[in-house]
Amino acid sequence: MNPIIHIVDDDLSFRIALGRLLSASGYGVALYASGEELLARLPGIEHGCILLDLDMPGLSGLALQEKLSTMAPLLPIVFLTGHGDIKAGVQAMKAGADDFLEKPATADILLETIDKSLRRADIRQEEFARTNASRARLSNLTPREFEVLRLLVRGKLNKQIAHALGTSERTIKAHRHNLMEKIGARSLAEAVSIAERLGLVDLVEEGDAS
Amino acid sequence: MRMLCDWARLQRWLTKVCSLCLLLLLPGLSTAVGQTISETRAPRILVLYPYDERIAATTVAGEAVRKRLLDATGGKIDLFSEFLDLSRFPEAEHVDRMGKFLAEKYAVRQPDVVIALGEQSANFIAKHRASLAKDARLVVAGFNRSTALRMNLPADVTGVFTEFNILKTAELARRLQPDARHLFVIGGSSEFDRWWLEAAKTDLTSFSKNYDTTYLENLTIEELAARAAAFPRDSIVLMLTIFKDRSGRNFIPRDAVKQIAANANAPIYGPYPTYLDYGIVGGNVVTFESLGTTVAELALDVLHGKPVEHAQAPLVDMVDARQLKRWGLSDKYLPPGTVQMFRQPSLLEDHWIDVSVAVFVVALQSVVITILLLERRRRLKAEIQSRHRLLEVIHLNQSATAGALSASIAHELNQPLGAIRSNAEAASIVLRSPFPDLKLIEQILVDIRDDDQRAHDIISRMRGLLKKRREIDWQVFDLNELTSTAIKILQGEAVRRGIVVSSSRAEDPLPIRADRLHVQQVILNIAINAMDSMGVAGTNKNISLETRLTKDAKAELSISDSGDGIPEDKLATIFEPFYTTKAAGTGLGLSIARTIAETYGGRILASNRCGGGAVFRLVLPLARSDHP
Repeated sequence: MNPIIHIVDDDLSFRIALGRLLSASGYGVALYASGEELLARLPGIEHGCILLDLDMPGLSGLALQEKLSTMAPLLPIVFLTGHGDIKAGVQAMKAGADDFLEKPATADILLETIDKSLRRADIRQEEFARTNASRARLSNLTPREFEVLRLLVRGKLNKQIAHALGTSERTIKAHRHNLMEKIGARSLAEAVSIAERLGLVDLVEEGDAS
Repeated sequence: MRMLCDWARLQRWLTKVCSLCLLLLLPGLSTAVGQTISETRAPRILVLYPYDERIAATTVAGEAVRKRLLDATGGKIDLFSEFLDLSRFPEAEHVDRMGKFLAEKYAVRQPDVVIALGEQSANFIAKHRASLAKDARLVVAGFNRSTALRMNLPADVTGVFTEFNILKTAELARRLQPDARHLFVIGGSSEFDRWWLEAAKTDLTSFSKNYDTTYLENLTIEELAARAAAFPRDSIVLMLTIFKDRSGRNFIPRDAVKQIAANANAPIYGPYPTYLDYGIVGGNVVTFESLGTTVAELALDVLHGKPVEHAQAPLVDMVDARQLKRWGLSDKYLPPGTVQMFRQPSLLEDHWIDVSVAVFVVALQSVVITILLLERRRRLKAEIQSRHRLLEVIHLNQSATAGALSASIAHELNQPLGAIRSNAEAASIVLRSPFPDLKLIEQILVDIRDDDQRAHDIISRMRGLLKKRREIDWQVFDLNELTSTAIKILQGEAVRRGIVVSSSRAEDPLPIRADRLHVQQVILNIAINAMDSMGVAGTNKNISLETRLTKDAKAELSISDSGDGIPEDKLATIFEPFYTTKAAGTGLGLSIARTIAETYGGRILASNRCGGGAVFRLVLPLARSDHP
């Protein structure tokens, strides 16, 4: 699927010109006169990059960024602003912006920045997809299997787990086999890495402390 | 006024001094008279006039005699006048009758002195002395010494003789005409005329050596007039007497003079005062007045018993001012003491007090006017200076505004510049493709042109803010249009600050007459002030600019904001210079706004809105329409 560049700028002429440039450079382009306009069409926007003006009447660039962080966290945002104000730049980057460019940016810098942010977005997307898949698999586990996994990634032995759960070692072995199959891990190391990605390691530490 | 008072005082003082002198002199005089005449009565003087009282000589000389005598005695004298009227009644019977009549008339009041004016009076008294005034002393006057000898007057008669000196008249002429080269002496054909010419030739012997001299005698009056018309302009003409011309016609000499002078081409002089007003410039003459005075002096001497001798009436230089003017002769050459007759008395001479007062008042007025003019000039200069200062301050304020807005303006400018760049780059990419979309290229170029125009407009507005005015640039413009321009300038800054700018405008144009930039400055000052009042945080920040026509037909622009409003106790002072609530404010913005408004005959008002925030109203008079 071709990435689409979403241009949000209150200046019609600038919006159109930028759209032409990106379109000529091979991108799909969507134009929005304001942040509100973008939000209204948000459900359909998944892939691509947002080019965002900082100062706009109505929703400002930073306010839109805040809303998008929850509504479309994976969409990369590149700010494009008329006045390179350090304070606003720092604020935007801290809030997760991909880049912060000053108008008028040259086509080279603009395209390079967009490429980079799209690549990063791809990686994030993949990671997100993987995590999502793992999380989906994890949700297939029975509560008993989940408990076993929790203790397993903490490095407990079958015997210790069986003791902790008050069951036999053989039963634990069966649970272990089943859950490894469900999360698609071929080794203990793989299972640990998945658990880590899903934020289960902390839980393990916690449990250990208790 | 003070000068006038001083004059009046001086005059009063002088009058007092004179009266005092007179009083001191009088006792001495009366004593002298008393010794010779009487201890008790005033001296009696009888003045005999040969003709009636209307003759000029009578009026002038007689009056001079009376005046002198009355002055010298302080009025303590009896003066009698008798008019013998011998010209109209020359008969011997009349003379005898008059002699008898007067003898009886003066029987009890015998005169002490008899003054006989003129030859005929002298003859009369000489004949009737015994009956009329046998103890009286006689003083005769009005003829010359040779006539007196011929009349064979008694030895004790004292005379004031009139002698004519043609040389003195000639000298007067020389002073008036220093460049003259010709001398003409005109005489008549009577015996007296011939005698006069001979005497004149002798008197003028040495004088005439300096001139090309001609004696004109034995000619008819017509010939004389013709010769006179041909005199060179640089001639001195001396007129003696013409009692008779060559053809035997008789003349009163002055009538002859008149005929000749009428056409003469050079100034004519003569030794007789009677010639004056008959066309001569002047001469060395005996005046009737001086004759009268001399006679009176002599009579006084006689009264005082002083030893007396014959006297000579003083001769004076006399000129006719009109003739001086006619011949272009300057009165600066006149000898001192010369009497100028027929001179138009100047205003100053006639009414010197009035003239002095007038001159003084005019001078005073001139001084006051001059002072007022200088004051006016000084004020105008000060006004110009203060206007220049104001323009200077407005300019500084504009520059400050431009500085404050520069970030927004730079942003505004970056929009079209960024668009132009992107369009250009897009175009170059499109052109590199195998099948370039030329329609797109065309559209891109149109857009580039439009953005360039946009950038240009922004720069123009910016330049307006930085423009320096030396003088107020009066123009008539629509307040609605100007408000739109101001909003364009403010738009960027408002966006940057997250402020919504709204506006509404009057339906009809609101023409006002002022300097656009100055009124724009007022709008910017108030609007930026309003933005500042809203702080950083807060939602629903807005500014609204509205133009309308007021009920009393003035243009009004109101700028309302959703800010904090103005503290009630500060409403009166916010337009004062250096009032500010801002850390970085100069406190001049609103003060300048008010000054500008007042400069164009308007005013500016501030108030708080019910719903919060402040509203500023700029009210300006409408420009007069050419078609009311």
